[in-house]
Amino acid sequence: MINFTINGQPVIANKGETILQAARKAGFYIPTMCYLEKTTPCASCRLCVVETDKTDGLILSCQTPPTEGLGVTINSERLEQERTNIMRLYDVNHPLECGVCDKSGACDLQNKTLEFGISSQHFSAKDQHRTIEHWGLINYDPSLCILCEKCVHVCNEIIGDDAITLQFGGYKSSVIPKNSDALDCTFCGECIAVCPVGALVSSDFQYSANAWELTQIPATCAHCSAGCSLTYEVRHTSNSIGAKAKIYRVTNDFEHTTLCGAGRFGFDFAVEGTKEESEFAKAIAALSNASAIRFSSFITNEEAMILQGLKEKLGLKLYNEEARAYQSFMSAYASISGKTGFGGSLDAVRQSDGIIVLGGRFTSDNPAVRYAMTTAARHRGAKVVYMHPIEDELLQNVVTQFVKYEVGTEEGVVAMLAKTLLAGADLSDEVAAFFEALDEGYLCAECNVGDEEFARIAKSFGRAKSKTLVIGSDVLNHKRSANIARLCAMVEAYTEFSVVVVPSNVNTIGVSLICDLDVDNGGENVVGYNASGDYTMGSIGNVNLPLPSLNQQEGTFVSINHQVLPTNVAVSYDGYTLNDLASALGLKSDNTIDYTHKLPLSKGFSAVAFDNLGNFFTPLGEDERGYRLESIDVEASGTLEEIEDLPEFNGSVVYHCNPVNQFNGYTARTSQLEKEAMLRGSAQFAAAAKIADGDKIRVEFPHSTQERIFKLDSSLKGTIALVPAYDVGFGGLNEHYRFEKVKIMRMGSES
Amino acid sequence: MHHEEPFTNRNVSESSAYYYVDIETYPTTGWDKFKQVVKRTFNGELFVGLWVVMREMIKFDIHTVQYPLEKLPIGPRYRAVHKLLRLWESGYERCIGCGLCEKICISDCIRMDTRIDENSRKEVTEYSINLGRCIFCGYCAEVCPELAIVHGGRYENGSEQRAHFVIKDDMLTPLDLLKAGEQAEYPGFGAIIPGSDASVKKTPLAY
Repeated sequence: MINFTINGQPVIANKGETILQAARKAGFYIPTMCYLEKTTPCASCRLCVVETDKTDGLILSCQTPPTEGLGVTINSERLEQERTNIMRLYDVNHPLECGVCDKSGACDLQNKTLEFGISSQHFSAKDQHRTIEHWGLINYDPSLCILCEKCVHVCNEIIGDDAITLQFGGYKSSVIPKNSDALDCTFCGECIAVCPVGALVSSDFQYSANAWELTQIPATCAHCSAGCSLTYEVRHTSNSIGAKAKIYRVTNDFEHTTLCGAGRFGFDFAVEGTKEESEFAKAIAALSNASAIRFSSFITNEEAMILQGLKEKLGLKLYNEEARAYQSFMSAYASISGKTGFGGSLDAVRQSDGIIVLGGRFTSDNPAVRYAMTTAARHRGAKVVYMHPIEDELLQNVVTQFVKYEVGTEEGVVAMLAKTLLAGADLSDEVAAFFEALDEGYLCAECNVGDEEFARIAKSFGRAKSKTLVIGSDVLNHKRSANIARLCAMVEAYTEFSVVVVPSNVNTIGVSLICDLDVDNGGENVVGYNASGDYTMGSIGNVNLPLPSLNQQEGTFVSINHQVLPTNVAVSYDGYTLNDLASALGLKSDNTIDYTHKLPLSKGFSAVAFDNLGNFFTPLGEDERGYRLESIDVEASGTLEEIEDLPEFNGSVVYHCNPVNQFNGYTARTSQLEKEAMLRGSAQFAAAAKIADGDKIRVEFPHSTQERIFKLDSSLKGTIALVPAYDVGFGGLNEHYRFEKVKIMRMGSES
Repeated sequence: MHHEEPFTNRNVSESSAYYYVDIETYPTTGWDKFKQVVKRTFNGELFVGLWVVMREMIKFDIHTVQYPLEKLPIGPRYRAVHKLLRLWESGYERCIGCGLCEKICISDCIRMDTRIDENSRKEVTEYSINLGRCIFCGYCAEVCPELAIVHGGRYENGSEQRAHFVIKDDMLTPLDLLKAGEQAEYPGFGAIIPGSDASVKKTPLAY
């Protein structure tokens, strides 16, 4: 706690806070142009200058922490003059095209220009020839750019793409792609969000609507389990009568949240539906005769509740292998930790100075985890250990130690890791004996991870204060997932590590908490809801009865942070909903959201009505979205099992992994996201499988066959190829263990 | 010095020029009512009126405007059905699609749609005004930064439909009329004040 004064009034700052942060918290206004709460200060605008009684010159409040007893003046004639001159310089030769600019008035430069009353140009500079750059989804107009560097800072510090940089050259300076001619990045679009002027804009949205014409609908992203907050911006499409409204763009509260490209650009996945009574009757008949409902986790908690109700009412079975895998993983986890959920969260990852990431490709599985890791690495100098059979080029700037293990040996790796991390912990005799009895030589040899790797982990995490273990979805469907779960729970129970188990789909946690899932053994008369079945309904693929997609529904999701987050209707839907079907079958409810406050209290939900759920961040960044699930204590009676013989995966092995920004059937049908659904492999893989770049191939999986084009990817190494799952069927990545032995044949060669 | 125009007292009072009309008392009995009817019927007042019409007809001094064959001239600042103007030199549409008219319209009757065109310019693809709702207040013309939307003199907007629309093509000056120099500038609210060149301050430029 540091006591100081602003304009003579006492203000208290926490340790590590800057003058600006303390002033904002105390309600003082200091103008800024380049300040972003979530990054380190850009310190480029110099508008935040203040005077102090201990310095002669002006100091930048955004990067200076106060000292005890400091007297700060935030507005004086001298400061006013300084700031006005800065604004005059910003406005030199700024194009007067505000009438067509995409900012349409929501512009920091315009606001500050009016605030400081700059009505004419005082200085002159020779104007430069500047051309508009077209970078795919992003357009950059250097003549509008004010070089605040916000975009560069988020790209480097939060996202980790490090794709843009500032080209210095005085008045000629501009933002350029780093080390390349064209922009080569994951297209998260965060640079567009933070741009205070209209320099960086979405090429799809450009000139299509004014900000004030768009209706803002706060919602939750429906693509992955991070549950990012976003705002759908909706408007009419045409003057003609009957033209339906559509989503024009997605924005986010960029000061406090970060959005990936799928959330920002993959918004047009709504479906059309009409009320046809004959179809409805068929659906009712199918449900009445059904033996089971197979569904995916692209549903809200309320819908999961309806499905559970239908199960109880009609005596159905509920199939969802992906959520069941998560459910059984977490129940094994709870049998050691004694709590229903894991203890970590994305915030915990962000605050960590040591992170171990295991068993998942987070750049595509869950970009929010990646951004949290990048933030920790950049802001806290976190050590990041990435353990996976395939190296991820996108993480190379973040990862400090890459540990490559053999496919299928996760159980051995986790056991060795647990032993490393639990060294010196106060273990029970039984557990200590378990770790003592581990056959290290065998495990290390089979995993192909040396002792020294674990020793290095032990050494680098010795000094770390807040540590996180992130478990990816590879292990969820592993044959030995229960034992892996128990080993992970040991780490959380006996060390300072907090653990995050990344759910595979948007509402996997919600489904696993609400539904009693049965083992999917096929059977007759299965109704599929966004999944395969004899009768299908939903919003993905060619279905018998269309139901609204996730941006056409209100309801809640449970995110990776165990937060119950509300989402809203962005695009209207004229057809039937699952609630209509359930009501006709006797499970009566007027609206789907009437279930929100009935969500099971025994699983940690609260009895809060949907309309009472907040969905925003306060100006100071406090999270007012939904509520947090309560952690329920359970009996910790689980014991570790002997490590089984580690399996070997020889021959052609592929890894089910989507390209960045692709997740499921929703993202697959959006217009802006890149849809490169190829089998990607290294030159080594190509040589082993005797295929070449561009070959049309047939991939035979144990359960199915796919025909794909092979793409040689120079960024990949090793013998494992990546096969996308988002474009197949309903896009489930986690129906089986993500690595699979396959047979690959070149098409046309077999004849 | 404070100056105030003397205000005429228009209230009815002893001193004003107003007076109460002497109205006969209404008949109350049936006989009185009958007498009044007979008196009015045979008084011949009808023929007084007919004579006036006859006399004026024979004089041939008629002031009636023969609408629609004949129309009275209207003031240049009259606010009737809108027009979209073109640039004199290039013939391009003046409208840049800023959307301010749509925003300011108090009866919410303007709607437009824009897109980015092949030359990376903002292009207005649809523009319509619902004349059934328009109150011809002139705000759209006043707010327009490009003097693109103005009011014209076409005040006849009768229609078979309850609400009829004007779309962009109806309002935009046809190119042949522009070339013939028939596009008229609008001097109403929002137009440039005569002599405003003198008040323009030049931006310092470096070359």
